[in-house]
Amino acid sequence: MGDAMKEFLLAFIGSFTGAILFNIERYNLVWAGLCGGFAWIIYKALFLYSSRGIYATFLAAIFVGLYSEIMARRLKTPAYVFSIPGMYPLVPGIMAFDTITLLVFGNLEQGINKGIETAATAGAIAFGILLSSNIYQILDKVICEGLKSKTKK
Amino acid sequence: MELTQVMEIATRIGELLLSSGAEIYRVEDTMKRIAKSYEVELDSFVMPTGFSATGKTSDGRIITCVKRIKDRTVDLHRIDLLNKLSRRIENEKLSYDEIVEEVEKIKRLPYFKYPLRIISAGFVAFAFTQLFNGEFLDSLLAFIITCVVYVVKEKISRLGFFQFFEYFLSGFLAAILTLIFKNYINAVNLDKVIIGSIMILVPGIAMTNAIKDALYGDLISSFARFGEALFIAASVGAGVGFALTLGLGWVML
Repeated sequence: MGDAMKEFLLAFIGSFTGAILFNIERYNLVWAGLCGGFAWIIYKALFLYSSRGIYATFLAAIFVGLYSEIMARRLKTPAYVFSIPGMYPLVPGIMAFDTITLLVFGNLEQGINKGIETAATAGAIAFGILLSSNIYQILDKVICEGLKSKTKK
Repeated sequence: MELTQVMEIATRIGELLLSSGAEIYRVEDTMKRIAKSYEVELDSFVMPTGFSATGKTSDGRIITCVKRIKDRTVDLHRIDLLNKLSRRIENEKLSYDEIVEEVEKIKRLPYFKYPLRIISAGFVAFAFTQLFNGEFLDSLLAFIITCVVYVVKEKISRLGFFQFFEYFLSGFLAAILTLIFKNYINAVNLDKVIIGSIMILVPGIAMTNAIKDALYGDLISSFARFGEALFIAASVGAGVGFALTLGLGWVML
């Protein structure tokens, strides 16, 4: 539990300060940081449970998409303000770097493996975020229109 | 408003959006909506390195503009403000001078102070070194190194070298500084410190945005961004690798 708290805090700091570098509105910084913290905890828990990195990343990304849509609605800002800092801890930047260094130092096989893993992770994040935010938007639209037609009747 | 003025405003806002790292569909959509509120039919073809847009009025006059975008950063606050401005244009039909003034204001607006950004870059490195199971000492060193790297990177980018040189030099600097620390303090974990301190350089977000573009159907820009991300990773990797091959023998002595 103590470990989880510590990792949550670290991911929070990472997203929060990352959000400063991405230049987002001051009031939204804490919410963006929370997004990153929860996303990392979900990723880590699923990774420890199933030891499948891409699957864990995908589910964490679904959370990021959902969280940022809900917060965007509540705080009246675009969703990417939360989703880009939120996915910062998940994103395979270091993996991309590893791929290149492995290839440069002649470990072609490992390098290719790492490269495919990098692309798959990036794909899982992008697909997860888009999937959940699109489903949220569709549901939102359907529910809103349903309510409107009811009040009309 | 004249057709030329509408096109100038639309392309100017599109240019700012694209250079602040907005998605392709957002740039296209915003330009289209702005033009539409002044009765101009606008069609555009947007890529990460530039775009061309054609505006057509109802009486058949046509103007085409091409814009080239050189530097691309991520600035979410600017995108947010431009979004709000475009919504205001749609609703209130602002005049040309008003819009130009607003756009110039958004362009000049600095948000966070420079020292704050340096410190936050340091904290990013600190947090991620800890998350990658580094010791406390490693995180502290990564904090210092990233602050230095961030300052140097901003300096270089203001001098206007080409982008990949910037990343090469930043990676090189990060690794060299780590090696110097390693030379004096033996307990430093070389790989942990380097990974933490290049966290602000590596193209994780760019990679993910590339795939996001593909999922929206903007295939060409997706490949362009993917290529950019790969080359950034390659330049950082080359910088770090160069420093390590230079310095490893010297540290092991």
